[in-house]
This record gives sequence, structure tokens and C-alpha cells, in this order.
Amino acid sequence: MEKEILEEGLNHNRRKFLSRLSLGVGSLALGSLLVPELFSGKSEAEEAMMNALPHFAPKAKRVIYLFQNGAPSQLESFDYKPELNKRMGEELPESIRGTQRLTGMTAGQASFPLVGSHYKFDQYGESRAWISEVFPHTAGIVDDICIVKSMHTDAINHDPALTFFQTGAQVGNRPSMGSWLSYGLGSENSNLPAFSVLLSRGRGNGQGVYSKLWSNGFLDATHQGVQFSNSEDPVLYLKDPESMSRSERRKMIDKIAEMNNLSMQQFNDPEISAKVKQYEMAYRMQTAVPEMTDVSKEPESIIKLYGPDCLVPGTYAANCLLARKLSESGVRFVQLYHQGWDQHGNLPNEMRLQAEDVDQASAALITDLKQRGLLDETLVIWGGEFGRTNYCQGKIIVDNYGRDHHPRAFSIWMAGGGVKSGMVYGETDEFGYNITENPVHVHDFQATMLHLMGIDHERMTYKHLGRRYRLTDVSGKVVKDLIA
Amino acid sequence: MLKISSIRSILESSLFVWIGLTLIITLAGDALVLPDWLQVFGRSHPILLHFPIVLLLMGLLFFWIPGIDQKPEIREIGEVSFLAGCNFAGITVLAGLILAQEEYTGEILTWHKWGGMVVFGGCVLLYFFRTIKASLIRISSLGLAIAIIATGHWGAGLTHGEDFLLAPIQSNQVEIIPLAEAEIFGDVVQPILQAKCISCHKEGKVKGKLRMDHIEGLQKGGKTGPFVLAGDFEKSMLIQRINLPEDDKKHMPPKNKAQLTDEELLILSEWVASGASFEQKLVTLPAKNELYQLASVKFEGNKIYSFDAADQDDIEELNTSFRSVKALFPESPALDVSYFGISAFPPKSLSDLKVVHDQIVKFSLNKMPLAGVDLKFLKDFKHLEELQLNFTDLDAEQLKVVSELKTLEVLAISGNVVDQSTLQKIAEMKSLKKLYLWHTALTEEDQEKIQKALPDTEIDFGFDGKGIIYELNSPIISQDEMIYQDSLEIKLSHPIKTAEIRYTLDGTEPDSISSPIYTEPIFVTTTGKIIAKAFSQDWKGSKEIESVFIHSGIKPAEYALAYEPNSKYKASGPGTLFDLVKAEATNHGQKWLGFQEKPMVLEVDFKNLPKANDVSLSLLYNEAAHIFPPAKVTVQGLENGQWKQLASISPPMPKEASSARSDLLTLSLDNNKYEKLKITLIPVPHLPKWHSNAGSKAWVFVDEVIFNE
Repeated sequence: MEKEILEEGLNHNRRKFLSRLSLGVGSLALGSLLVPELFSGKSEAEEAMMNALPHFAPKAKRVIYLFQNGAPSQLESFDYKPELNKRMGEELPESIRGTQRLTGMTAGQASFPLVGSHYKFDQYGESRAWISEVFPHTAGIVDDICIVKSMHTDAINHDPALTFFQTGAQVGNRPSMGSWLSYGLGSENSNLPAFSVLLSRGRGNGQGVYSKLWSNGFLDATHQGVQFSNSEDPVLYLKDPESMSRSERRKMIDKIAEMNNLSMQQFNDPEISAKVKQYEMAYRMQTAVPEMTDVSKEPESIIKLYGPDCLVPGTYAANCLLARKLSESGVRFVQLYHQGWDQHGNLPNEMRLQAEDVDQASAALITDLKQRGLLDETLVIWGGEFGRTNYCQGKIIVDNYGRDHHPRAFSIWMAGGGVKSGMVYGETDEFGYNITENPVHVHDFQATMLHLMGIDHERMTYKHLGRRYRLTDVSGKVVKDLIA
Repeated sequence: MLKISSIRSILESSLFVWIGLTLIITLAGDALVLPDWLQVFGRSHPILLHFPIVLLLMGLLFFWIPGIDQKPEIREIGEVSFLAGCNFAGITVLAGLILAQEEYTGEILTWHKWGGMVVFGGCVLLYFFRTIKASLIRISSLGLAIAIIATGHWGAGLTHGEDFLLAPIQSNQVEIIPLAEAEIFGDVVQPILQAKCISCHKEGKVKGKLRMDHIEGLQKGGKTGPFVLAGDFEKSMLIQRINLPEDDKKHMPPKNKAQLTDEELLILSEWVASGASFEQKLVTLPAKNELYQLASVKFEGNKIYSFDAADQDDIEELNTSFRSVKALFPESPALDVSYFGISAFPPKSLSDLKVVHDQIVKFSLNKMPLAGVDLKFLKDFKHLEELQLNFTDLDAEQLKVVSELKTLEVLAISGNVVDQSTLQKIAEMKSLKKLYLWHTALTEEDQEKIQKALPDTEIDFGFDGKGIIYELNSPIISQDEMIYQDSLEIKLSHPIKTAEIRYTLDGTEPDSISSPIYTEPIFVTTTGKIIAKAFSQDWKGSKEIESVFIHSGIKPAEYALAYEPNSKYKASGPGTLFDLVKAEATNHGQKWLGFQEKPMVLEVDFKNLPKANDVSLSLLYNEAAHIFPPAKVTVQGLENGQWKQLASISPPMPKEASSARSDLLTLSLDNNKYEKLKITLIPVPHLPKWHSNAGSKAWVFVDEVIFNE
């Protein structure tokens, strides 16, 4: 009996197995009919994802990012460390520094003398946050902002750190934050670019900004940041040539679109339809942009709020005012860069000048949005690409020291659009070197920003060269504690 | 008739079909596109699943029958039913995978899905290897049985909700409560009491004669006094006891029991402070109330709207280049409408919104020119909660319409003039949570009045800049050119419209009293300088700003340079000197003629033109770039074939380096008329000692030579 059962089992010989397997393969083929994309190589999943955006109820509709390019010192702004003043000139303990790599600028230094803030600190607002004396206006709005003292990043030099903050990767060619938002949420106002960029330069030691920071990367070219300059033509090549009428221009654009559509039918290159859209938007921008840059209709109290500098095109204050006007008009992401925060030396002198240029206008932007009822739906971010070391770069002189780059801990602030107000988040050790509480990585920050805009950072992806990309790469956690 | 063995063979073969289909559907993942009829099959999963459970469990049972190997007929029944079970498992898995495409997501789905596959795979393996060692089979059969039960449980969790099975014996159900419905006591305070207090203050265990398990008990209070008294921390025993030091015997909760967290302490205190109500809803508190801020985060923030969604096609049609109509959040019927683009705004388009007037909850018309537009249509927006009308030129009549919108919670009318009658109407808008009244011409008295009338409304009066005195920006001088021939128009402007611009043309500093006020463009016909300053009330006068204008009377008929300029700095040749275009000081590379090795020697012939009385030279100085004033300038006249010196000057030498700038050097000539004039500029042969390149030759840069009568 046993033998028979065994033989029965062995009857499943190879031929039988293979013939049955063919049934399986046949069913695979049958099943593949249910997967139209299987052999077409084209993904419609992305489109489906796009239709579903935002993923959930957004807290903020728009972002204004006041990027302080060059990395302002956290130790002279928001991270008060009296211990550093007490230990002035003492060596940074090995135990605190650990394995932190240093830049080429201080790696060769024989000693790392601690240096405390040259500026006085005081506590402000209901949150009793410590703020240094060079940011008096920011101190005035402290209950409207959320200071994050526990930011950290991967990069230690300006370009990779900036690129990391803006695109989620240290190497270039990835889309910038603003491009991602333009891609994900589009523009509220189709007369203006969804992603606008404004540049200004302070009086401190500066670092460059490059157009790759507002690049659309592999996304459609319509998501590229549009730079507004301080010249007579804020957006280059937008003006019609002299004596060309609007109707002539209209006719010309229609004709070009017609021809572009013909070649679109022939080649099916998405760049062609992007071009058509860009011509169309440029045409509408011809009337929308002059509205934006005209400050003559602003009440005088606004000029006093931002400071008279806001009437001088190209200054940080003027850019803050322009940022409000753009944002109020539905521009999804307004990116400011203010250069001059790289205080390797002469910090006490330079940082005061830098702060003088940005403090009033940054605070003014918050007050201004608030008095229009727009702060609730606009997220404002202020901060640099990393922090600065608690030790002195070069020889220590009490009123003329410098600080090198420090990626392990730095401070930024956020306000409005769903962020808790009047809060200080995260803590660093008494040396201001390591984070002791609630670290926030750049990817966490990006995930949180996207979350506030109603986007799940893990679900907003774009397939390029065979893999899916997202702003937060493969990490990032939404910092729920920051969300109101 | 079909034999048992052939049925078995068919059933065994079909297993491979199910395996194949399962593989493809699993691998396809989200890319799967299902025809409707397959959805019907998918939805039969809850019916189908009973077959494999019963058949497989029954089949498994047969493995456990003692001496089964001796009873082939019975074994056959077991095996066939097990095989049938395997097939049903395959079909059920397939249906399940298809059903899962519909709208199920989450962790339990993953568990259930893979559990199902494990069961299917496991039973197929078990079937084909059923003849190996009996003990091994029995252990595997146990495993399979467990997998079947677990998968079934997860599946039930999907249809009936998580923890459905154990819910009756679990007490701490968490229910998501919309913020709009949350009660301060019931949903915020009571859960704290429940967790930290009730175990000792309830029926059967009434410590301190205080019962906290019903409201009457709380209202009655305990042995030592009332539980809470609205707003009174002293007499409220709750506040007294929880704030005693932990070592105190009367401290509550008692030492060694779970203590209140800081947040809970704060919530309890704020509850008492805000009136210790047992019925009040959380949303009735003003938004800036601390209790509201603490508690509101605990509830579902997405307001749930009961009205129907508008037609999707209508919504799409309403989105234009000047108007955005979007759902508040995905799947919400509520709409958020914004207008953009002042120049593109057609007021008539407001009536298009009729088709969605039931759905609009947020509406923004900021900066749109609404003067004279009838706003009565807003009354049809039955669910409007937020209205933004900043800077829209509204008059009292329009604002009256707005103030009668009773559903509004947020109103922004900054930048419109609010008069007394309007203020009175707004004071009746008790439902407002937030009100924006910046730049509305309200006096401080008015502001106090409205805040008093609406004590629970967060009102923002904004920044008025009163008492802050800044220095005005300088005016802007615009003139088409600096060097001109007949007459020149000069315009002055200031970005602040109210600023008064005063100017002088005589080189003196303008003052705020006697200097002429600029009203219209100025025309000049001479060489000179305009100096302007701006003044305004509440501002400090601006710094003065000046601009030079140069009249060029005579342009020579012929001219020639004795020596070529340096080959790098030739600009557009000698003609550059007479093109009447003043070059920028920053651009010495392209617009200026540069001389270093050889001096500039220029001969000009006026032929029959009037005689020149003076000659001006436009020079560039930039010490860091070795560009200095010429060491010597001479002008000679040709008289009867003889050159006669008419004027000579040695400009003062700079003592330090400054930034690039230009200067105008003027030399007067005598009254005689000469056949030709010769102008010579000699570069400084040795840079001064203070210069970093002391000793080397300096440059002279020239861009214009101007003769006047």
C-alpha cells in the first residue's frame, strides 16, 4: 500500500510537472492582460498620483523661504550658550567634538578655543525664547514664530549643503523644493510662475548662489524657478519690443503654438508642450509682473514696517516686500537668497551688519502677512544651510573672532501655515555643539514642509532613469511636534 | 462517469493556474487595471473564503486520524477534500487580491494578504508532500491551521473593523471626534479624570466622599469642599489638591499612583479658569485661549461638511487664468475660491459662481477692484466661513452687505475704509473668530470699541507705523542723457507718493521752505547740476541727490589723434570723444579711451563753426586700476601757423585710492578765434609712493571732449 502511494507521488514526473507548469505560464499570460502597462513601459501611476494631490488637508497654501545663504551663526542668534562665554579660550573637549569631520579651513588648526557670543542675549515673548541683541525686530515677533534649535545636516561645505537643503541631495540635477511643489500642487495663479526666486546680497563675507538651486532637475521645464532681478526688467526678456502691440504679440504666440503643436504630434516630446505653456504664461506675465513690482500703491505704514530700504530694488527688504506681493498673488513658492553670512572671521562686526539688513524686513513680513489674515495659510521659513562652530577659526580675539562651518546643530525659524507659534523646539548641549533633544534632519524638515502643504513626502515621487525620486530621497520623518 | 482519479488530476493541474495568476497579480501591484466583471469576482471573496477554511481544516483533520494509512478510502476522502480546499484557497486568494485593489489599505490588509498567500502556498506544498514522514506532516498541518485562523481573523478585522472580535472585552476605545463637536468636559477633561482619578472615586470606592464617575457627583463635591468653582482656584478642591507638593498627604493623585502630566495639569487649571463648564463645546472658546490651543490638537481638524459636492465639471470650468476654485482638501465638498490678477478681473465673472454657491466656504477677492460691484450675491453663499476682501475699495454699502453674512468666522477687510455705521454693523458679527482691520482708518477709540463689542474675536489692527520716524529715501532723478545739445528734460520722482520733492539748479542744498517744489518736468539749456531732496510729514528729510547735465554747443568739423590710444582701450575710436554719450565709470574696458605710454594729443578743426569759449574733458579716475588724473592738461591754438598755449592745468593728485568715478575738467579759452585747437593730456609718469605699484606709469582715461560757446 505504502509503495503504491509513493509511486503515485512519483507519478508527478518531470514531463507532467512541465506540462502543468505550462498551465501556470499560460495563466501568467492571461493575467498580464490585466496589466496594460506591463509591456508598454509607460507609467500612468504618476498621473494617478498627481490627480490625488494634495494627499490630505493642507495647513499652508504657499511658502516663502528666506534663505540666509552662507550659514548664520546659531550662537549669535537663537542658541544662547553662556557656558561658551565662561569658557572663553578653553579648548573644545575631545568628548564633545567626537568624530566630527572639519573643513579644510580649520582641520589643520592646532587648537580649538571655545568662543562665546559677542552679543548680549535676552528672553522675549510668552515663549521666553532667547534671542540676541542684533535681532531686535525678530524678538518682537517671537510669539508668532517657532524656533528650531536642533537642525542638522549631512554636508559641511556651502554648495553641497545648499544643494542638499534645496533639492534633497548634495549633488546637483535634482529638482528644487519649489519645483517639487510646482509639480505637485501647480500654481494658484496661472498668471505668475509657481516658483519665483529673488536674490540679494548683504555686507558680510558672501558665498555664491547658482541657478542649479532653482532648477527643475528632471521635472518638466515649466517647474523651473523664475528669477526676478532688480533691474528695470524684473523678469528678463518679458517686455515686448518697442512699438509691438499686444494683439500682434497674441497673434504671434498663437501661430508659434500652432507650429509647436504640429511638431508635438510628430515627436511627442514633452519639452515642446512645456515650451507652449511657457510662451502662454510669459504672455500673461507681461501684465501680471508690473503689478507685482509696483510698490507705489503700498501704504506708508508698510514702508515703515519693512524699512525705507524696501523701496530700493534688489535689497533684502525690497525682496521681502516683493515676496509678500507674489505670495499674496498665489505664487506657490517664493525663494529668497540673501548672501553674506559666511563669517569665518570678523564675526562680531559682520554679523551685526548682516542682521541689520535682514532683521526688520523678515519680522515685517510676518507682521504684514498677519495683518492681512494671510499668515495662517503661508509658511515662512528663515535659516541657512548649516551652523557655525563653537570654537574660533584662527587666533581668538574677543571682539574679532570667526567661526567655521558646523553641520551638527544649527537654528532656523518657521512661522505661519500650520506651524506652532511661540515655541522653541530642540536643544543642544551647553557647548552648542551636539543636539541633546529632538533632532531635526534636513529631510525631516523637508518632509514636514511638504506635510504642511498637504503632501505625503513618501508618495510624491517622479520616475526618472528607472527609479523613483522624491525630495526626501529615502529618509525623512514628519516632525509632528512642530505642527499646530 | 468521471473517475475520482481524473477529478484529482484536473484539480491538481488547476492549482498551477491559480499559482500563476496569483503571481502575476501580486507582482503587478498598483499597475493592475481591472475590468468591471473582475471586480464582481473580487467582491465574491467574502463568500468564497468559507470554502477553503472548512475544506482545508477538514482535510487537515484526516492527517490526525490514527492508523489512517491503513484505511485508503478514508484517506482518499481526506486528500480529495484537502485538494479541493487547496483549489478554493487559490480562487479565494485571487478574488482577495482583486478585491484589495478597490479601497483597502493599511497594515492589517498586508497581514491578511500575505497570510492568505502563505495558507495557499502552504496547503499546496503540504498536498504534494503529503506522503513524507507522518510526524512532520502533523506539525506542518498544525502550522497551517494556525495560519488559516490568523488569516481569517485579520480578514474579519478588515470587514468589521480592527479589534472587532475582542472589542466587547476591551474598554479603551478611541473614537475620532471632529473638533467642531468636541466638548471641553466630555472630551478633554473627563478622559483625564477617567485615567488618573476615577479608580478611587467611584461607586463602591468613594474616597473623600467624592464621586467622579458622574457629573452629579462632581457637582456635589467631596468631604472637604466643592470639586470645582468656576474661575476660583482657591475654592476648587481639584486645583488645590493637584497643585500640592507630591509628598503632601493631601496631594492628588496620591503618591505612588500615576501622576498628572504638566499638560494635564494645565488643561485642568485652564478648564476651571475658563468657567468649569460641563457642557461647553471646545470651539466656542476664542482661538487664543490656552485651553483651546492645548486641546484642539487632539481632535480631527478637518471639518466635516454635510452638504453635497458640486459637479466636478462645473468646478473645472470655473478654474480660469484669474480664478482658482479648489476643494479644501481631497474629497471634501467644501470649496476654496480665490481671484488673482487685477488686470484680468472681470467683475461679471462673480456671477459664474452661482453653480457652486452652496459649496464655497472660503472666498478671497483680495486687491480686486470691487468699487461699485454689487456684493449681494454673497448672501447666497450659505456655508461661507472665511471671506478675504483686503484692499478692494469697498464702500459703506458694500461693507454692510458683508456684515450681514452670519455664517462668517473669518473676515479680512484690511485696507478698506471702515466708517462708524460699518463699525456698528461689524460689532454685531458675534460669530467671528478672526477679524482683520488693519489700515481701515479706525481711531484708537474705535478699535477699543469693536474689541469690547466682540470680546471673543481675535482682532488684528496691524501696524500703523505711528511715532516711527525714518529718513526718507532720496528722490530719483531721471534724464535721458548727461551731455545734450539743445535742451534736456529732467524728471524727479519718489516711490512714496506723498513725499514732496524740492530741488535747486544753482548748486545750493535744497531746503524744505524756499526751494522750488517739483511738480512737472524741468527743461534745462545750460551746463549745471540739479540737487534734489525729499520731505514728508512723519519722516526725516532725505539725503540730497545730485545729477550733472552738460550742454555741448559746438561739435568740431574735423578731429584727429596724434597717437592711437592703447590697443586694449580704443572704445569706438576717436569718435567716442564726441558721441555725447557719457560712459559709466564702471566700464573702463569698453567705453573709454585709455592712454599710458603716449599722451593724448587731440587736434580739432572748427572750420566755419562759431568760436569755442571753453573746453570740458570727461575723465575717469580709479586709483586701484592705476587710472589717475592727467599730470598736465594744455590747450593750444593755431594762429598763423604757430601753436600758442591758451590754457594749462595740473589737476590735484589723489592721496588714496577711491572707487571708480568720473570727473569733468573745464578749461576757459581766450576771446580770439583760432584755426585749430590742440589738447594734450599727459599721464602721470610715476604712481605716488602710497600706491601699491608706486613708480609705474599711470593711465589717463577720457570719454568725452565738449566745446561750448
